[in-house]
Amino acid sequence: MRPLLRYLKIIGGILRKDVQVEWRGRQGVPVMLVFTLLVVFLFNFTLQLSPDLQSSLAAGLLWVSLAFASTLGLNRSVSLERENRALDGLLLAPVDRSAIYFGKMLSNLLFTLLVALILLPVFSLFYSRNMLHPGLIGVILLGLSAYTSLGTLLAALSIQTRTRDVMLPVLLYPLALPILIAAAEATRGILEGNPTGALGSWLTFLGACVILFTAAGLVFFETILEE
Amino acid sequence: MSRKPPLLVLLDILSLVLILAVLALILFFTPVEAVMGPVQKVFYFHVSAAWAGMLSFIIAAAAGGGYLATRRQWWDWLSLSAVEIGLVFGLIAILSGMIWAQPIWNTWWVWDPRLTTTAIMELIYLAYFILRRGLVTPETQARLGAVYAIVGVVTVPLTFFSIRLFRTIHPVVIAAGGSGSAFNMTPPMLLAFFTSLGAFTILLSDLIWHRLRLAELAAASQEAHR
Repeated sequence: MRPLLRYLKIIGGILRKDVQVEWRGRQGVPVMLVFTLLVVFLFNFTLQLSPDLQSSLAAGLLWVSLAFASTLGLNRSVSLERENRALDGLLLAPVDRSAIYFGKMLSNLLFTLLVALILLPVFSLFYSRNMLHPGLIGVILLGLSAYTSLGTLLAALSIQTRTRDVMLPVLLYPLALPILIAAAEATRGILEGNPTGALGSWLTFLGACVILFTAAGLVFFETILEE
Repeated sequence: MSRKPPLLVLLDILSLVLILAVLALILFFTPVEAVMGPVQKVFYFHVSAAWAGMLSFIIAAAAGGGYLATRRQWWDWLSLSAVEIGLVFGLIAILSGMIWAQPIWNTWWVWDPRLTTTAIMELIYLAYFILRRGLVTPETQARLGAVYAIVGVVTVPLTFFSIRLFRTIHPVVIAAGGSGSAFNMTPPMLLAFFTSLGAFTILLSDLIWHRLRLAELAAASQEAHR
């Protein structure tokens, strides 16, 4: 039982560090939030959306803006570690690298969830549709877990490139497409009251994605960061 | 450096002969399909190219695994070669499919699971090249490229599955045609089809081997200049 406890403590330590940095600097979540709102506004006017938005459009809009916000957060989360070579310090620590992966993934998830929770009432306000559904929050939790588990892995890849700021979206979006499709469809199912009965299979699909990409993170994180 | 291996020369000749034979089969032996007309004949090369592309990406992922397990440069060359050749075959599959789709579906493109998955697959492996180009040392290129090729190949069936799930729940506007399921093949068609699949598989192995040899020669020449 001891090693497991130690492992969890390391994960908690990394999570706490990220939260502390964010709390003191407040440079991640506010930027993500403002950016997400801007995306919603841009979509609204470029696509000429009506206030009584179709639920499929609302679901798509929500997930595209969350995907953008999350990418911003992931980039920020890894560039933070590069500043002052903090990553080297982290890697020198005599701990399992997979614990670092879990810690970073959880902090990314936490920040993106925070953005999503603020975005939902805003959405409800703009498009006169109640989005504060407990089921929808569950879908967002599941979808973002899958997205950040893959995103954290690829962010660790992208920081090692020369053009790291623009690299992550190019690496992440084609691989994240199934997650975004499933999340948007599950969201639509919730908004429409699951008329097609497909919600269960979308949720199962998202759950499978979480397990698969977390496993990929555990297996490859060590390989990606070795020097 | 070494001379061209005799087996490779044999493979060159075999690929050429087989591709010409398949072409002859398609043009003169297979019947014209009753509903779609002559344009259906693009099907033989189309499906074979898609098959070769898919196989190539699986080889790339497997070679990536080989690299991570052994850390031998050769595996990375194989992986890179397979991705390059696979991209070309994928493009051939998409373009030939479009030529077929224009008269049959009356549009160049539909967002059907197969088409979308193939297109996303091309984008994944374009990103693979961008990733490699952004990395400095051959060692990181090989290591991170291997990880991306493996994770990439895992997401391709997921994409296919998610779009299919989405489409089968929706009322389907255009039947999932594209390949074999759309019409019943007569024995001459089947013969041409399977010969074409075999010919493309041999062509694929021939091209990958050539690309692999190019990588070896490039490395050797760089070594010689040092």
